[in-house]
Amino acid sequence: MKTIGNRLAMAALLGVLFAPVDQAQIKHIEMRVEGMT
Amino acid sequence: MKQHLGRQSGVQKVDVSLLDGKVDIVPKEDGQIDPAGVLKATYDSGVSVTEMGMTARGKIEKDASGNLGLQVAPNCFFAFVPNDLSSGLEALAGTATQVTIRGQLYKKPEGKKKGEASPPVKLLILQVQRKE
Repeated sequence: MKTIGNRLAMAALLGVLFAPVDQAQIKHIEMRVEGMT
Repeated sequence: MKQHLGRQSGVQKVDVSLLDGKVDIVPKEDGQIDPAGVLKATYDSGVSVTEMGMTARGKIEKDASGNLGLQVAPNCFFAFVPNDLSSGLEALAGTATQVTIRGQLYKKPEGKKKGEASPPVKLLILQVQRKE
């Protein structure tokens, strides 16, 4: 019983650690350029 | 230029509008792109950048010199050009609050004919889109 509880706790912990999160990141870059042909 | 930029690491997609000289760059999902590298690659392709802006999400931090800025990744920090919007974010420095910011990273100085290959890149906040 205790083993199942431990496994569930471990699964929950791993789920939290590896769940996709909205990470810090650069989302978009835009530039104005001249001299382009 | 499109091919030049497409070869930069972290670049997923490049859209170029010849008509109005606008270039849109979509980073890969991990967001690991270096704007200074993009600026240099554009310069190396023989095109002059007049203005560069970005939208990024990160935490507000201070660097070793005490400059307030946006920490996008452990090795990616953009110091702010001080303005009213950056002052409003000072209280969030060092907290876990994530902020999404749209800002200007580079603008070619008035009167200069040619841009620089590696100009200093600082973030002038134009809009704070989200705090969470």
